Amino acid sequence: MREQVITPQVIANPKSKYGNAKASTRHFITQRLSGAINIAFLGLLLFVVVQLAGQDRADMVATLGNAWIGVPLALLLVIVTVHMRNGMRDTLEDYFAGRSYQLLMMLNTVFCILIALVGVASIFKLVFWG
Amino acid sequence: MAELILSKADRPAKGKTWPKPASAKRLREYHIYRYDPDQNANPRIDTYFVDLDDCGPMILDGLLWIKNKVDPTLTLRRSCREGICGSCSMNINGLNTLACTKGMDDSTGPIKIYPLPHMPVVKDLVPDLSNFYAQHRAIEPWLKTTSPTPKTEWLQSVPERAKLDGLYECILCACCSTSCPSYWWNGEKYLGPAALLQAYRWLIDSRDETQSERLDDLEDPFKLYRCHTIMNCAKVCPKGLNPAKAIAEIKKMMVERKAA
Repeated sequence: MREQVITPQVIANPKSKYGNAKASTRHFITQRLSGAINIAFLGLLLFVVVQLAGQDRADMVATLGNAWIGVPLALLLVIVTVHMRNGMRDTLEDYFAGRSYQLLMMLNTVFCILIALVGVASIFKLVFWG
Repeated sequence: MAELILSKADRPAKGKTWPKPASAKRLREYHIYRYDPDQNANPRIDTYFVDLDDCGPMILDGLLWIKNKVDPTLTLRRSCREGICGSCSMNINGLNTLACTKGMDDSTGPIKIYPLPHMPVVKDLVPDLSNFYAQHRAIEPWLKTTSPTPKTEWLQSVPERAKLDGLYECILCACCSTSCPSYWWNGEKYLGPAALLQAYRWLIDSRDETQSERLDDLEDPFKLYRCHTIMNCAKVCPKGLNPAKAIAEIKKMMVERKAA
C-alpha cells in the first residue's frame, strides 16, 4: 500500500479518510470496554498472586487448577491480549504508515494471538488435566 | 512517519548578540529564533537587550521595540495587541501563548522566543498555518440546515445558546494544536484540538441540522481518534478553553451513535 499524498486540498475536504473509518469507533469502544473489564478482573489477579505468595509449585497447580479461578484467568488473558493488540495498534498508527505499518500490525496480531493461545492452553491444561 | 529529531540543517546555531542600548538602566534580555529561507543557513538564536524604561510591559511590546529600534528584519505576526486576533501566538519560554497577553514580568531571566513548534517556518517567528486553516475548513464551520430558511432568523433558546460558551471564544491562534504531540506526529491527518473544538461547537449548535453527517465526516482513526488526552491543549490555551473536553464529548457522541 502506498502512502497517501496529503495536500491542503485533501485536508480541507471534509470527506477525506485516512484509515479504516468504519472500524475506528469500534476500536475505541473495544479499547475502553476491555480496559474497564481488565480493572474489574484485576481483583481476581491480585487475589491469586497474594494467595500464591511463598507457596510451592504444587499449591500453584492446585490454585490455578480450580476451574473457578482458572477459567476467569483464561478469560482475563484473552481480554488483556485484545486490549494489548488495540493499544499497540494506536501506537503503530501514531508513528508508522504504509507498508511498515501493515507489517508491524501483522506482527502485533500474530504476537497477541500467540500469547493468548499459549496462556489459555497452559491454564486449561492445569484445570482439566492437572 | 514521525520525525523524532531535528535534521542537521534545522538545528539552531548561536547567533548575533546585538549591542545594549546606550544609557539604558533597566534591561531585559531576549533570545529570539531567527530563520530566513532565502539565506542558505541554519536557523540561529539572536540575543537582544530591551530598554524597559522605553517599552511597554508585554512581551509583544519588547518584540516591537526590537523591530522598531534595533533590528527591522525581525519578522513576526501581530495585530490587535489585546488577545483577540490570535496573530502573535508563539512559543515563549517553552510554552505556546500570545505575546500580547504575556507580561515580561511573568518570568525571570532571558526571555526565549521560538515560533509555534513543529510547523514549517516562513520566516523568523512566522509559521506556515496553511494546513491548520485547511483543517478548520474541513469541519465546515458554518450553519448547515435542511429546513426552509426562516423569514427572520434561526431561533435559539438561552440554554441552547449557553451550550456554546467555552467553545465560540476560540480565536484560532493555533497554540493548542501546535502544543499537541499527536498533532506533531500526524499534523496532516489528525485535525488537532483547535479544529475539533470548532467541530464540537457546530455539532451541539441547536440550529444545525446535519449532526449525523458531521459525525460521519469525523469517523476516522486519524481525524478524531489521534487525541490521546495528553491535555497540553487545555494547559496552553490563552483563552482558558478546554479542547480536550470538547474532543471527549465528540467521542462520546460517536459511541452513543454506535450503541443506539
